[in-house]
Amino acid sequence: MVIDFSHPTPVEISEERQLTESRREMVLNMGPQHPSTHGVLRVLLTLDGEVITGCDPIIGYLHRGVEKLGESHRYAQFTPWTDRTDYVAAPSNNLGYVLAVEKLCGIQAPERAQYWRIIMAELTRIASHLVWLGTHALDIGALSPSLYCFREREMILDIFERFCGARLTTNMMEIGGFSRPLPPDLTDMVKTFVENFPAGQKDYETLLSKNPIWLSRTRGVGVVEPDVAINYGLTGACLRGSGVNYDVRKAQPYLLYDRIDFDVPLGSHGDVYDRYLVRMEEMRQSIRIITQCLEQVPTDGPMAANESNYVIPPHKNVLRTAEDMQRHFIWVIKGFSPPKGEVYMAIEHSKGELGYYIVSDGSPIPYRMRLRTPDFVNLQSLPYMAQGAMLADVVAMIGTIDIVLGSVDR
Amino acid sequence: MSEEQANAAPAEHPVAVSPWATGYWGPLDPEQHPAVLAVRERFPEAFVDAVNFRDEMTIRVERSRLRDVVEFLRDHPDLRYNLLTDVTAVDMVRLRTSPRFDIVVQLYSIPKRVRLRIKAGVDDGETVPSLVPLHAGANWLEREVYDMFGIVFEDHPDLRRILLADDWDEGHPLRKDYPLRGFREYVQPGFDAPAPRVRSRLRRP
Repeated sequence: MVIDFSHPTPVEISEERQLTESRREMVLNMGPQHPSTHGVLRVLLTLDGEVITGCDPIIGYLHRGVEKLGESHRYAQFTPWTDRTDYVAAPSNNLGYVLAVEKLCGIQAPERAQYWRIIMAELTRIASHLVWLGTHALDIGALSPSLYCFREREMILDIFERFCGARLTTNMMEIGGFSRPLPPDLTDMVKTFVENFPAGQKDYETLLSKNPIWLSRTRGVGVVEPDVAINYGLTGACLRGSGVNYDVRKAQPYLLYDRIDFDVPLGSHGDVYDRYLVRMEEMRQSIRIITQCLEQVPTDGPMAANESNYVIPPHKNVLRTAEDMQRHFIWVIKGFSPPKGEVYMAIEHSKGELGYYIVSDGSPIPYRMRLRTPDFVNLQSLPYMAQGAMLADVVAMIGTIDIVLGSVDR
Repeated sequence: MSEEQANAAPAEHPVAVSPWATGYWGPLDPEQHPAVLAVRERFPEAFVDAVNFRDEMTIRVERSRLRDVVEFLRDHPDLRYNLLTDVTAVDMVRLRTSPRFDIVVQLYSIPKRVRLRIKAGVDDGETVPSLVPLHAGANWLEREVYDMFGIVFEDHPDLRRILLADDWDEGHPLRKDYPLRGFREYVQPGFDAPAPRVRSRLRRP
């Protein structure tokens, strides 16, 4: 079938959407190419003057069938695909996936690797929040914060590049720990970042937090009450901005978060401004977590679990011993077979609760791979927020939910 | 189970016992799990079984009472599974004959910090009561299940495709009989013939 582009398809307007004398509503199609929809989100808005009477987010323009692909790849082959779901926070996606597979296999990464996983996950949280802050402020009309945000984000991406060679789609974590050795100067790079970041964060706060234009655009906009937030299944800063205390790191600590002292910031009004404050405080808490991890992490020790069935053997040993070379060959060619069963693993992603639900039938390929991405669920609250609001506030609401369409559409 | 016990449970749960099990799913023995006992007592005819794997508790119920069970767990004063985390389905066609699908509902209790999974079997062509009247967040999740598996939810306010195009006529992609690369051959504009298919090296053993 060859698509003929010479004759455009006539657009049919259904009866209820046609303008009549008595009905003066207008349907406005925002996106999918609108710069403020953070990708390819399309929002079908029904307007009465400038007031929104109906809002229908239409998604799926970036759907690549990641779940179907997960059911046709071996376990270790799927890790790079998780990078491509939420591409501004790739290491967190890796983390959730490898933790789910490790839980399915019943193995655990060594202590040193767990500390470094926390450090990388918190750096990712800061990087993701910086992208959110820059684009969110840009949508509302503040141009300068995005330039400052990307200045600090560059330092984080440099750390990722030093560690694994990639900046965006890192494919950093392996099942059982890390397969790469730690570069000797990585600790210093992280320390430099931790020292410099609070001063940088002060720059954005002085630009935004007490700015009268910012306050009038964000205060009282997009209010979500606590019971409504729970009813919509919101997680992450969208839920905590409404004052509900649910952070997976505190509620159900994974890795070694129970050894680390940090606070969970909560909002009180549930509007765009409170969610902004919550995310700014989360970045400060992430710095606290990284500082404690750097103090506690052992300087020497294995970075991958010694589980010959499930974990790729260290590269050094592959070249040295016949057994490890055979193990490596089998691991790469055949994969490994976890026990039959099902697990659900949730982590606190920068956008909310990221869950992986894996059903295993005992073969090297997952039987069912489900990605519960936080922004897919959070985006459902957009019609609730937008009901009765002004047209110009929709960009603030889309920004405050913090969506990445690669993660919404999967 | 009193409120103090339920609140104390996550703190007592030692990390060393199950390090990969983040989350506390309640007592490991189904016979002692408060949610299992409560559901079995309230819905004796709908309760099928309760399974524990990797410290995760799964309750299987009859599909017709799924909404009642979720509502009961949400409103029970000692359980309060008030956050609907996920609704999804699994095509079990390669593992058993009937019923074909499993509806999987992941619940979380914010006050008690406990997770729970509810499952219900549904056959092709049967309908499932929608959870949207209880949890507004189930709306898109159920639309996705309908889109990917073709399972119809009763009383859903807006059941249409969500990730695929509205006029997608090739079926439901996450069913196991749907080929990875689709049913059809596509010709790109400017080409005469469809792109040759590369034989996949990935085979299920």
